[in-house]
Amino acid sequence: MSPPLLRATGLGKTFGSFCALDDVSLELTPGSVHGLLGENGAGKSTLVKCIMGYHRPDAGHIQLGDQEITPKNPRDAQALGLGMVYQHFTLVANMTVAENLVLSRTQLPLFIDWKKEAEALAAFMATMPFKIDLQATVRMLAAGEKQKLEILKQLYLKSQIIILDEPTSVLTPAEADEVLGMLHGMTRKNELSILIITHKFREVLGFCDEVTVLRRGKQAGRGKVSQLTTNQMAEMMMGSATNLENKRVPASNVNEPRLQVHELTAADDMGVPALCGVSFEVCSGEIVGVAAVAGNGQEELVEVIAGQRIRSGGTLLVHGKDYAATRDQLHDRKVRCLPEEPLRNACVSNMSVAENMAFRSFDRPPFAIARWVLSHRQIRKSADEQQREYGIRAPSMGSPIGTLSGGNVQRAVLARELRGDVEVLIAANPCMGLDFAAVTEIHARIRKARDQGAAVLLVSADLDEVLALADRILVMSEGRVVYETRPETADVTLMGKYMAGHESQESQESPAAAE
Amino acid sequence: MSQPASRLDFEAVLVPLAAIVVSLALFGVFILCNGVSASSVYYEMYRGAFGTWFSTQNSLTRAAPLMLTALCTALPAHLGLVVIGGEGALVLGALASVVAAHLLASFGPWVVLIGMGLTGAAVGALWLGMVGALRTLRGVNETISSLLMNYIAIGVFKQIVEGPMRDPASLNKPSTLPIGDANMLGSLPGMDVHWGLVYGVVACLFSYVLMRRTVFGFSARMVGGNVRAAQLSGISVTKRVIATCMLAGAAGGLAGMTEVAAIHGTANASLICGYGYAGILVAFLARQNPLAVIPVALLLGGISASGGLLQRSLSLPDATVNVLQGILFVVILASETFYGRWKRAPAATVPAPAASVVAEVA
Amino acid sequence: MEGEALGLLGVPLAVIGGALRVSPPYLFVSLGECLTEKSGRVNLGLEGTLIMGAMSAYGVSYLSGSPWLGVLAAGGVGLLLGALHAYLCQQPRVNDIAIGIALMIFGVGLAFFLGKPLIQPTAPRLPAFEFGNWSSSSPLRAALQINVLFAIGIVLAFAMRYMLQRTRWGLLLRVAGESSDSARAMGYDVARIRLYATACGGFLAGVGGSFLSLYYPGSWNEGLSSGQGLMAVALVIFARWDPVRCLWASLLFGSAGALGPALQSVGISGGYHLLSVAPYVLTLAIMMMTSSAHRTLLGQPAELGAAK
Repeated sequence: MSPPLLRATGLGKTFGSFCALDDVSLELTPGSVHGLLGENGAGKSTLVKCIMGYHRPDAGHIQLGDQEITPKNPRDAQALGLGMVYQHFTLVANMTVAENLVLSRTQLPLFIDWKKEAEALAAFMATMPFKIDLQATVRMLAAGEKQKLEILKQLYLKSQIIILDEPTSVLTPAEADEVLGMLHGMTRKNELSILIITHKFREVLGFCDEVTVLRRGKQAGRGKVSQLTTNQMAEMMMGSATNLENKRVPASNVNEPRLQVHELTAADDMGVPALCGVSFEVCSGEIVGVAAVAGNGQEELVEVIAGQRIRSGGTLLVHGKDYAATRDQLHDRKVRCLPEEPLRNACVSNMSVAENMAFRSFDRPPFAIARWVLSHRQIRKSADEQQREYGIRAPSMGSPIGTLSGGNVQRAVLARELRGDVEVLIAANPCMGLDFAAVTEIHARIRKARDQGAAVLLVSADLDEVLALADRILVMSEGRVVYETRPETADVTLMGKYMAGHESQESQESPAAAE
Repeated sequence: MSQPASRLDFEAVLVPLAAIVVSLALFGVFILCNGVSASSVYYEMYRGAFGTWFSTQNSLTRAAPLMLTALCTALPAHLGLVVIGGEGALVLGALASVVAAHLLASFGPWVVLIGMGLTGAAVGALWLGMVGALRTLRGVNETISSLLMNYIAIGVFKQIVEGPMRDPASLNKPSTLPIGDANMLGSLPGMDVHWGLVYGVVACLFSYVLMRRTVFGFSARMVGGNVRAAQLSGISVTKRVIATCMLAGAAGGLAGMTEVAAIHGTANASLICGYGYAGILVAFLARQNPLAVIPVALLLGGISASGGLLQRSLSLPDATVNVLQGILFVVILASETFYGRWKRAPAATVPAPAASVVAEVA
Repeated sequence: MEGEALGLLGVPLAVIGGALRVSPPYLFVSLGECLTEKSGRVNLGLEGTLIMGAMSAYGVSYLSGSPWLGVLAAGGVGLLLGALHAYLCQQPRVNDIAIGIALMIFGVGLAFFLGKPLIQPTAPRLPAFEFGNWSSSSPLRAALQINVLFAIGIVLAFAMRYMLQRTRWGLLLRVAGESSDSARAMGYDVARIRLYATACGGFLAGVGGSFLSLYYPGSWNEGLSSGQGLMAVALVIFARWDPVRCLWASLLFGSAGALGPALQSVGISGGYHLLSVAPYVLTLAIMMMTSSAHRTLLGQPAELGAAK
């Protein structure tokens, strides 16, 4: 049975005074893969959430086949054969794969016969192109497996139209190709239609039949992929002809090692080892990029260096001396940090922008008088000065930082962290969720810090970002550095294999290194 | 955790005031159901709290320990902790101050009083410091540990008062030997209110300045707002948590000392009268702002002072005041939800699922 | 043989007997708290629910002459208090820990207020199974009296474990407690699931209170509870959020609570107050040993951590 036609016409949605969607239409041809392109905040998520019944559109209609539909919640949509795979997993981490699959059904029996369910699930799994252990607890699965399970769940529910929200952000290129290839194959058999939200042109060109492009809540273009060029699609997304080539500027002035990590080990929140002996060096004047799939220890690495996690072993040296991220060490050795999700990691949302910008120096003159008394006036003055330089848009520097937009929060953090001399800079996904202009600005500032002699460690989930910025690249997998390369000579396919843990230099050289 | 209010907009006054009015109305309905006229209850409460010079002084006397025990909750709240161990700190602080008084008895009243205050505060500080240490070093939930420690403190207190330190002359109500009339804390000039009231007011002012105007307070608020951001800035969370809990405990211990030195003259079960728990109420009603603790403690002191009169003149059970306190507490906490409903920050009005979408639009 | 003649041997027997009498309130309150926490919410107000339950059970039993009506009334009052807690907590910006404490103060105050006239009269008590009738030893007979309500509680612990693992309700409850995002994505109303769980948890705590006033100690007064409702929270952590382990933990806590009176019964009365705080010290020690500043507890519903 072929999937029905999904058509949205003239959808509109506003939140308060913010217009998230304005007269947007979309048509998903049965048995095709349709790409939904757009920058962060362009309205892609809002659009699919309207289709899935998360939001009620203020205007427009959604049609499925010949019928108009108005799903009130995701369960309604599910019953109509619409399924969605979210960017953030909706699996229950502390339950087993089998429990998660059974739970997702729209109709659950009052008493659950696990023996019968297990048989039915095993039979279903046998028909699928990839396998996942039904008794495994979801927490223990790697990110790629979780993503596959999310897709399996939709197939288990017999959804005929599947919406994927940036499904490949947690996958290696090879895994992404495998998953998308399989879904693509199913659409060719006319079993499925796929709507895929993405900003990766590679995936659009490789797997999509048609695209719809959104910009700032409005429809910016649509068409068949075979009739469009990458630059045309980019222009629809960004609004003007944009040069996609992010020019690399190589490091010119690499000096002595500033940050030295040797045999570092640490455990994650559940007490399971997350770092299993990581060693590397970052020199003054270079950017070292760390590429890894989410959940392979890079988050913990950043947290240990930033002082947010306790290391269980190994040494961490800055300027050749042991470093424990105390306040005095941070100040004397000029270590700064640009973490991902700044509101969660680097700001106190109910303190003012000015106060947030003083976190590095509030206990020193001129902000602190006689080491104890705080000068609110000086804090405010300094923040007002920096507001212009960094272009922070805020009602006032006295308003809580939590009321600012993501880009402006990150600008305030940049202003704080890059102030004065920087000798070591740790940047972890600094551009996550930001728009094009903000990304360009942050990249430029990181390069500038390097050119002024800082040692920069850049951890990023975006391989393109690492390739564009780094002077040296380390690949991490399962808590270890498994591969090192230079961007000029980098082989992306080989990197992907190392990221996926398919190849491992270390385990081949010394099997005992696991302990 | 509610952030201590820094803005003085109309909300900060209107919401608690409305909560008090609603509570009194609910209480009136409750009283009516028990066959007593609500208006006579309100009148008796007013008379018992602030209606006469005598009752005003009584209310002020009760407000003094409430200010101090409120700080037991309000100070750690700045770090995002819900500590409810004021009762334990008060009881043990009182006991320790009696021990100090007996040891220092030969040095004269001034030394005795200073020694009592310091010992009481020190023991209280150690007691609640333990709560902070357990929280930050072992991850033990501070609310539950401080609650358990109240019970433990009361057990230890009774054991010592009825055992090794018992005054053989105290028959019906086991008590320690009195500290002696000469060593008692005097009254404020021209009033029948003891100096503990001044201690309370000064402690609240000190706490306010500490949290708002000093480097320590700034770092404590960072820890309270976002532990990860504080760690990123190299702030030792452990030190801030333990130090703040110790200050909170010191306030509670001092409350115990003033109760002994100004009211009872000895340590006995009368000290266990719920000032610690009423202090929690004061702290929440004041939205954890040390400055607001002062008027709120006066109000609550008045309500508790009026309990006796209700009992005598309307023959209502003494638990009537507990019911009122319970209603007040529930309504006040529930009223938190009304903050920010009138004055809208643009980003805050967006429904939760869409917040991320909006945040992305720079 | 009389109790005196048993000498020191009487102590373990008295502890066992005491544990069987002291444990049931712990069991019911901890099962209630377990149910509540499995749905992703903490109810610190169960102490108030327990005392309200004790008071209403005693009152209804006295007025109606049927202790079982009293138990039902206690459960009903608990249900209402639980629902009130859940309703208040689901409002934005309302702190569930603080609301719990507030409802505890409110419940205790209300129980004392309404219970004033109940201190004097005697209400009919709950029946017990006499498992020790074969023996002529009266301490043994006393030790082996098992209350019917306690027997129900034991069955309930196993039933609740079954319910959580093998029924639709149990699965939905766990999803709400493990990931409200997932539950919402599946289209379930998390707030409503938590409302039901918290209300049922309150029902159980109320029933636990009825045991206090209708069986052991078996009267109504203001010193009836020794904080069982508060300790339930720690007990559930100790039991790793598993109903059957709640049963074992309750017996352990009951034993700790029975130690003081048992020693007193053989004439060792020194340190009575210290022994009476044994359950609190035990709770604190267990929390100290099982918690960690650096990792999440195994078995803990994920939404509980997020709430703090």
